[in-house]
Amino acid sequence: MLYIQLLVDGLVTGCAVGLVALSFSYFYATTGIFHVAHAGIYTLSGYIALHFVKLGLPFVAALAIAIAVAAGVGAFIQVTLYARLEKRGASPLVKMIASIGVLTVLQNIVALTFTPNILQFDLPWRISLVHVFGIGLSIPQLILLIVSPLILFAMLAFSRWTPLGKRIRAVASNPELAETTQLHPERIFIYVIAIASGLVAVPAVLVGVDQAMQPYTSLLVLLTAIIAMIAGGIGSMGGAFVMSILLAVIQSVSVMLVSGRWSIALVFAVFIVFILWRPEGLFRRNFNRQI
Amino acid sequence: MNFFFSFLVLAEIFAVLALSTNLLLGVVGIFSVAQAAIMGIGAYTFAGLAIAGIPMPIALIAAIVLCGIINVIASLPSLRLAGDYFIITSFGIQLVATAVFINWSDVTGGATGLSGIPIVEIFGQKFVRAGPFLILSSIALGVVSLSFWLLMRAPYGRLLHAIRQDEIAVVAAGHRVLLAKVGVSAVSGMYAGVAGALYAAYIAFIDPASFDIHVSILAVTMVVVGGARTLAGSILGPLLLLAIPQLLALIDIPSTVVGPVRQLTYGALLIAFMLWRPQGIAGKSL
Repeated sequence: MLYIQLLVDGLVTGCAVGLVALSFSYFYATTGIFHVAHAGIYTLSGYIALHFVKLGLPFVAALAIAIAVAAGVGAFIQVTLYARLEKRGASPLVKMIASIGVLTVLQNIVALTFTPNILQFDLPWRISLVHVFGIGLSIPQLILLIVSPLILFAMLAFSRWTPLGKRIRAVASNPELAETTQLHPERIFIYVIAIASGLVAVPAVLVGVDQAMQPYTSLLVLLTAIIAMIAGGIGSMGGAFVMSILLAVIQSVSVMLVSGRWSIALVFAVFIVFILWRPEGLFRRNFNRQI
Repeated sequence: MNFFFSFLVLAEIFAVLALSTNLLLGVVGIFSVAQAAIMGIGAYTFAGLAIAGIPMPIALIAAIVLCGIINVIASLPSLRLAGDYFIITSFGIQLVATAVFINWSDVTGGATGLSGIPIVEIFGQKFVRAGPFLILSSIALGVVSLSFWLLMRAPYGRLLHAIRQDEIAVVAAGHRVLLAKVGVSAVSGMYAGVAGALYAAYIAFIDPASFDIHVSILAVTMVVVGGARTLAGSILGPLLLLAIPQLLALIDIPSTVVGPVRQLTYGALLIAFMLWRPQGIAGKSL
């Protein structure tokens, strides 16, 4: 029974991390920018939702506002920072260091406007348990389990069949050709970062409701997500999502074998061995961007 | 005056750490956000041995050697992994190290840290206050700086620059890139070991938060603001960045917001320098 509970816990965490991985991967595979600030947007959107719930808005409205703000901030970062750096021919390293700067700024703006301490949502339903096949799940966990796969399929469908999704794929596979064929990569990048940032607000808010929030914890979530993305093969949203769940389940079940305090170290150790053994990821994909 | 000396000692210790980061990040182009972790290993080694009663020179040498070895191991994945993959490994090493500092409480004292590190004593002279300790840290920074300066002028230094610019060309020219990278990782690790031992000896108290990811990012910020690849940059960066908290202390703001405001300033500086002056104050372009 305990194993099943741990398995389900891992599944829930995996769904949340999966959405982070999927959204990071979408932007990274398109632009090649190592967007560490994604973790900052994760933090920010959780607190935005908290703020509007506190003001008395219904939860769904607060979530919608958080998604909108996240998308806006993402687009702002692209226009004011990444696009300018790109125009100046900055190296990927420079862009990433700037991104670390944005992450630091966002986290500390949150810490200053709210508090550096732990905060919880004031929602009575957040702790009520629903029993599914004898396993206790909180409502935010249940929402995560249902919504995350739906988002994955929606993103896959969007990418495959809609005109914008196709344009994004075209830009990702060949930016120079996309430039000459009037696809306007720089405009596409804004759409991509807005979509990715809006998406990351969903797990940020739901995990925030389920557990609690602190300004500085999001980097660890992002790193786990990036590990899943690399292991799943860069450019494959499905791979990133599946690997996130796998990693989270391993981490959750490993508590039975090693002390929980060491589980983060375990995941990273497994990752380092894995990446040395198979640098192209579990699901082979052509990703030959210069990195 | 003691206040000012204390600031100088810390700036010198961080200049040593900045040089360690500069060697990897600026010179060979291996992005590392784990130098504080290596510095922490040096500090814990030095502190643990010194508390156990081992003579300080031996503790210092042990810290330096161990850090050199561990930094080589930590950099090994970069020999096989390109760019972005290694960034993640580097973040990972930092997080794993912090987890070890917190959880291996038998050795590290856990989250509460290690206190009671003995006072440095040479020829009966005790180095308690910042003034006398400044002599020690200046000597250490002097030695490290000299070695950095010599390294940059040696043929080996030119080889390192060449590796950053075009690794494939260097291999084609018949140079052993692997060996060069292992060597530079060892030197960088040894610098971090010096910084760690000095820090432990000066503050006489260490805890996991002294060597966490924020400190690693601070070291990167120091290199970026001061300027990559130059000696002057790695000394200017720490002086300027550590002056910020001193200035914040002059402004009357509540003590609870000092930390976030300082971090916010560092983040804003990173962005500003990347946008308008990627070469830093006294460096060369990244």
